[in-house]
Amino acid sequence: MVLLCAAVGPPPKPWERAGASSSGPAPFKPPSSGSTSDVVEASGTAKPGEIVTTSPRNAIVNTNAVGRPLPTRPWENNYGSSSYGGYNSSPYNSGLGSGMYNSFGNTYGGTYGGLYGNSMYNRGGYGGVLNGSGMYGGALHNSSFGGPMGGYGMGMGGPYGPQDPNNPPPSPPGFWISFLRVMEGVVSFFGRISFLVDQNTQAIHLFMSALLQLFDRGGVLYGELARFVLRILGRRKSRKILPPGPNGLPLPGPDMQQPDHRFLEGPKVAPTGSWDNVWGNDATR
Amino acid sequence: MPVFKTPFNGYSVKFSPFYENRLAVATAQNFGILGNGRVHVLDLASGPVPAPMSELASFDTADGVYDIAWSESHDNLFIAAIADGSLKLYDLYLPPPANPARSLAEHTREVHSVDWNPTRRDSFLSSSWDDTIKLWTLDRPASVRTFKEHVYCVYSAAWNPRHSDVFASASGDCTVRVWDVREPGSTMIIPAHDHEILSCDWNKYDDCLLVTGSVDKTVRVWDVRNFRVPLAVLSGHGYAVRKVKFSPHRRNMIMSCSYDMKVCIWDFMVEDALIGRYDHHTEFAVGIDMSVLVEGLLASTGIPQSDANWFAHAEYIQLFAEE
Repeated sequence: MVLLCAAVGPPPKPWERAGASSSGPAPFKPPSSGSTSDVVEASGTAKPGEIVTTSPRNAIVNTNAVGRPLPTRPWENNYGSSSYGGYNSSPYNSGLGSGMYNSFGNTYGGTYGGLYGNSMYNRGGYGGVLNGSGMYGGALHNSSFGGPMGGYGMGMGGPYGPQDPNNPPPSPPGFWISFLRVMEGVVSFFGRISFLVDQNTQAIHLFMSALLQLFDRGGVLYGELARFVLRILGRRKSRKILPPGPNGLPLPGPDMQQPDHRFLEGPKVAPTGSWDNVWGNDATR
Repeated sequence: MPVFKTPFNGYSVKFSPFYENRLAVATAQNFGILGNGRVHVLDLASGPVPAPMSELASFDTADGVYDIAWSESHDNLFIAAIADGSLKLYDLYLPPPANPARSLAEHTREVHSVDWNPTRRDSFLSSSWDDTIKLWTLDRPASVRTFKEHVYCVYSAAWNPRHSDVFASASGDCTVRVWDVREPGSTMIIPAHDHEILSCDWNKYDDCLLVTGSVDKTVRVWDVRNFRVPLAVLSGHGYAVRKVKFSPHRRNMIMSCSYDMKVCIWDFMVEDALIGRYDHHTEFAVGIDMSVLVEGLLASTGIPQSDANWFAHAEYIQLFAEE
């Protein structure tokens, strides 16, 4: 059940609050009262549930209200049946494992071409956008697929698209043309494969070298931090008792590079505090 | 400007006529060509500054959703135009498994737009790629009438806001037709553009003015009493104009969005008609709406940004158009 609540109209529209303001007599019949279905039935034009099937029509139909040829329907426009017949004999249907791209291509080319594509601007525009926005996921693929996708945008049968009456469909390709297209497909297939392998190798290499560099820098950072912390500790302890240390040592921290005598003095007496005698300048000595 | 990212490409956005902070977004996967769709119902947190949007509900569909229309009679109902040719009625008061409350399958091709009658409030129109427009009412399980005269896809149909029996339709056969539901055929045929017409809308304050947006990149304003020449030709978009809309608050204000990723605001009565341009979309802007309840609250939705993730976004602009 749909109508769960009583029918309450929305707040009045701004133009309803403004009242009737027409710039003159409108060429419409005055509105009838009653519900829409009653009004339509009273006029005798009601045809409940009529199902209209569009008959598939030719791309060039001149008997319409517009007086000029209409483009094909979006769903009729695929390259297999259009003048761009070359594509079906092209690598993308030759069973080399890239059928997916072909179907994508057809769908996109077909729909956009048919829907918005009876002007030259849109052919270019859409082709460019599809190409540039990474249909296949990023720069890696774009560089290899950019060619075919870009082709959708611009190239097909002149600037007005394949269905243009001024641009009759080309004759079907001969044997050598088809053969060369197949060969082109084979070559571009292996080209793509090798390109992908190369990209993956490079990626792994970069990953490993980045990892190694991370470890390297991590070690350096650790060493630096450790030195810093020890220096802080040492300086705080030594401030209470210096200057100077028993061996003439100044503060222990800044001169780590000096030959350190502290460790040459033999075993120490057991320190009283855990950290007090670490640096050897014990106040009790 | 609050942004809500939807997982699919936004196709249409509509403000609820009942709640000033509620809106619905229709989305579809893969440019709406194949794949699933989803309808999001969003709530804009109230406050002086538009706050982030929260999702009230979302409904998945097996096919892309191209358009939505809120019911003018019930605050909980909206209708969605689905790419498989059906119209689905959703009820926000029903639990999610009970939705869609109704599925109306009569069109043989994708339904591209749907519009609820704002004056009589009991009927709605759907326009489809099978060249027909259908009139539906909530109390009938089947369509009341089918209008078939266009010879190419019908991209949009819009009710006249002051005449409850009159509507206009924009089609790929380069004509706009004006219809009266009581007449057997169209009452006017306006050859409005030289290319496909993707959208049309009526002026809310002058019932004789129509605006159309076309693949030829222009927006044109027509007076149906004299449609030999357009009242105004607004050029400025770089690609096909996807949707046009008259402001519900200002007589002369038009909002349009285009495949050139821009949303433009026009005043068709002044010489420099372009009074605002927003290029916050990074890809096609395909859906716009202006809130009927809050002046200056605009929404737009678009197809994804060009990063690898296919996010659409519904975006809000707080607009302060100068007098």
